[in-house]
Amino acid sequence: MTPAVLELRGVRVRVGRHELLDVGELRLAPGEMLGLMGPNGAGKTTLLRACLGEVRPSTGTIRVLGQEVTALRGAARAALRRRLGYVPQLLPPRSELPLTVREVVTMGRTARLGWGRRPGREDREVVDFWLDRLGLRALAGRRFHELSGGEQRKVMLARVMAQEPEVLLLDEPTANLDLGWREQLVATLDRVHRQTGLAALLVCHEPEVLPPACQRVVWLEAGRIAAVGSPESVLSADPAQRLYGAGLQVLHCQGRHAVVPGGGDA
Amino acid sequence: MLDLVFWAPVMAGGAVAGASSGVLGTFIVGMRIPFLGVCVAHAALAGAVFGGLAGLEGSALLLPALIGAVGTALVLGLADPRRARLDDNTVLSFLFSATMGLAFLGIGLHGVLGKSDHDVRALLWGSLTFCRWRDVAGMLGAALALAAYVRVCFKELQAILFSRELAEASGIRARAVWAGFLVLAAATLTVNFQTVGGLMIYSLISNPAAAAFQLTRGCARALGVSALFGAASGLGGFLIAAATDLPCGAVIVLTSSGLLVLSTAVARRSRGGDSPTCNRSR
Repeated sequence: MTPAVLELRGVRVRVGRHELLDVGELRLAPGEMLGLMGPNGAGKTTLLRACLGEVRPSTGTIRVLGQEVTALRGAARAALRRRLGYVPQLLPPRSELPLTVREVVTMGRTARLGWGRRPGREDREVVDFWLDRLGLRALAGRRFHELSGGEQRKVMLARVMAQEPEVLLLDEPTANLDLGWREQLVATLDRVHRQTGLAALLVCHEPEVLPPACQRVVWLEAGRIAAVGSPESVLSADPAQRLYGAGLQVLHCQGRHAVVPGGGDA
Repeated sequence: MLDLVFWAPVMAGGAVAGASSGVLGTFIVGMRIPFLGVCVAHAALAGAVFGGLAGLEGSALLLPALIGAVGTALVLGLADPRRARLDDNTVLSFLFSATMGLAFLGIGLHGVLGKSDHDVRALLWGSLTFCRWRDVAGMLGAALALAAYVRVCFKELQAILFSRELAEASGIRARAVWAGFLVLAAATLTVNFQTVGGLMIYSLISNPAAAAFQLTRGCARALGVSALFGAASGLGGFLIAAATDLPCGAVIVLTSSGLLVLSTAVARRSRGGDSPTCNRSR
């Protein structure tokens, strides 16, 4: 079996008397995009934060890129995090600080460079590459906080790609976007994944957000894995159907998925 | 006519305190914790008050003041707001009220024990017009240490300002870098406010940085312009006060406030009246 880039075994996370996560086994294969779906409060973000070492499980092991996350501290944990590209669910709060788009994307290089070193030509080339690739070059000199939500989301993705990560951890990267921007970002995620071949764990609520590149979905419910498989099978299974209700059905077309009113099959 | 030789250390002190406060302000206002200046000032005051009770006086009070300020900065820097489920400003409010309570308790104890609190009160209000070259050297030393730290950790500090959570998640030792900055900030503020006073420091932290944010694009430019505005407020305020025979501290505060108003008006005009805070949909 190919070694997984991310592997959870018997992971339980408790806060007080509440069990937030109880995952028997979960693997992310190299080059795979895995969708992590489920209702609000299912434990999706907790799982992602556990992979980053921000949440400590009470039992179980989490191995990321061959390293046991729970055993890492300080510099060793920071070194592993440099190899992970994390895009958070929420955009950073608005600040008066006039950071430009280029500065925000260049931040992706910060941890790689180390203390006292300034970004050099190679770093600028990587930043330019991702500004171009994501269509942000014209916005490079603009203030980040003056951009629209969709543009800011793209900048966050460019920032994380400039980090040159080995795994992407995407926490609802299309949250609060209108349909047009959501579709742009889904297409961008799909393209980036196909071009880079990076393993990615994508947390999302809605089937519409799953890019065609996402061929496997894990459905979390109350912290436990309720279903695993192709998007078509998982979204037709009981847990998802319970969430979407009797009056809704999931349509599948050319690798995309959508919830629509109605009872028949697509 | 102003005696330039006599007043040179005062002018230099005002400019250095303004410039270093402007640099601090870029990060403190950028992190949305402008209250830090007042909090650290009260922590230093509490340290000095208890130093006075222990028998220290004059410039020797600087040591307990530094201990109070740096200790408070360390608590703020090392606290993990997410783990404590508290916002930075809530932690700051707690520290401010606790240190203010300690300072006033100590001042009250001075009266009970029949000790003079003159030196301690001077720390709170400052006395720029009594600034001498020795004071300027202290302020310059603190400012240079701060500048060196900012130069070495600029990109890390910039990432923390953008999002501390993201900085940590991308492998930046954000807690250590921020705690180091806060310790240097506390030391710089303490050295400065024995000359310019805790209340003036607050305006020199907030106003030049906020004015620079209005006019610039990019963190490095904002840092430079904020330092320049701070120095201009300190030096310009003193010169205006000397020319008009008005209280120096008040004029410096008003000069920095005027710079902010002017910068906001200029920025608004150059943006054609748009609010800089709106998110424009395309």
